[in-house]
Amino acid sequence: MTDPEIRQWTFKILLLGDVAVGKTSLINQYVEHSFSSDYRPTLGVNIITKDIEIEQIGSLIRLIFWDIAGQNKYEKYRQAYYEGCSGALLVYDLTRDDTFVNIESKWIEDIYKNIRKKCDFMLIANKVDLTNRVVSYKDGELLAEKINAIDFLETSALNGENVEKAFLKLVYQILKQYGVEFEINL
Amino acid sequence: MIGDYKGEIKNKVLTALLQAYLDVLDYDGLKSILREAELLELKDSRDTDPNKSIDFFSFKKIISAQNCLLFGCYNLLFEIGKKFSFYLFPYGKNFEEIIEEINYLIKTNWKIEVINKNHGYETGELESITLGIENCIFCSEVGVPCNFIIGFLVHSLEKSLPSNIDISFSGLKDPNDPSHSNFILKLILKKK
Repeated sequence: MTDPEIRQWTFKILLLGDVAVGKTSLINQYVEHSFSSDYRPTLGVNIITKDIEIEQIGSLIRLIFWDIAGQNKYEKYRQAYYEGCSGALLVYDLTRDDTFVNIESKWIEDIYKNIRKKCDFMLIANKVDLTNRVVSYKDGELLAEKINAIDFLETSALNGENVEKAFLKLVYQILKQYGVEFEINL
Repeated sequence: MIGDYKGEIKNKVLTALLQAYLDVLDYDGLKSILREAELLELKDSRDTDPNKSIDFFSFKKIISAQNCLLFGCYNLLFEIGKKFSFYLFPYGKNFEEIIEEINYLIKTNWKIEVINKNHGYETGELESITLGIENCIFCSEVGVPCNFIIGFLVHSLEKSLPSNIDISFSGLKDPNDPSHSNFILKLILKKK
């Protein structure tokens, strides 16, 4: 039996961004603390759940991650894939400029086009462990501000840097809409 | 999953369901549902004898996984229901035969039946069909909408009618009503 004092929440979180920016790897790092260097593009949607407990606020939260393929062939169902989402991570690869440009020219538009209710999103620059960066931290920060992202973080799905923080910050922001706040201690 | 899960499902039902997932969610989506159901070994099982059966418990695990992962996805559930109908009855069929057959293919404590067919007084044309659904196995959990079975029924009826007929529906209960898997559904036919 579940403790009646414990509040239960379910949030659908989207991961959006170009092909091979590391969306699946970010989820794998957060959910399983693992990383695979073999790249295999997602076909359709990869849906993974993670249950977290935040004792500070007496809450059990089920996160349902929708890792949506970056390819255009999924346009037909894209709107349906986005239905019911509570938040999103917009991911680019800081070693590939086109993935950064597409955040504004493609993925933000996609969110506005396909999501009717309010959806908080965060901007993520992934692959910070690599040395051949072409997008600066400042440019990422400026874009986050321009597109009204709730926050901006540089992450590494390889070594886990900022990965948990990114997901928790998004959860924090979603819960805040319901008048629930907690402290992120990482 | 608490409850009594007695019954059996013909393999062709499972195959149609997996094919529907593949169409709408593609291979990773199909695998996500089977992984959640702890039945990932079924991901390539398209060539099983269609007339043999699987146990209802396994089938219900897949449906529960679907409903868990597709939380809040009303339109996707509807689309998957439509595709399920397409793959289960690829050549279309008389609607009442489909209703009879789905009860036969999924043998457990549930039932779908045609309660009433309403014809126009002047035209004599079919205007609506009312169905009674008891213990719908696709939406038995509280909070899960009935869009899958509605998608299935709408598409099944559509395929049995001329293409100039649109179908709408009414009679859905609130998914948070614990008795929402027992409902009366009215399918309304209208010329385009």
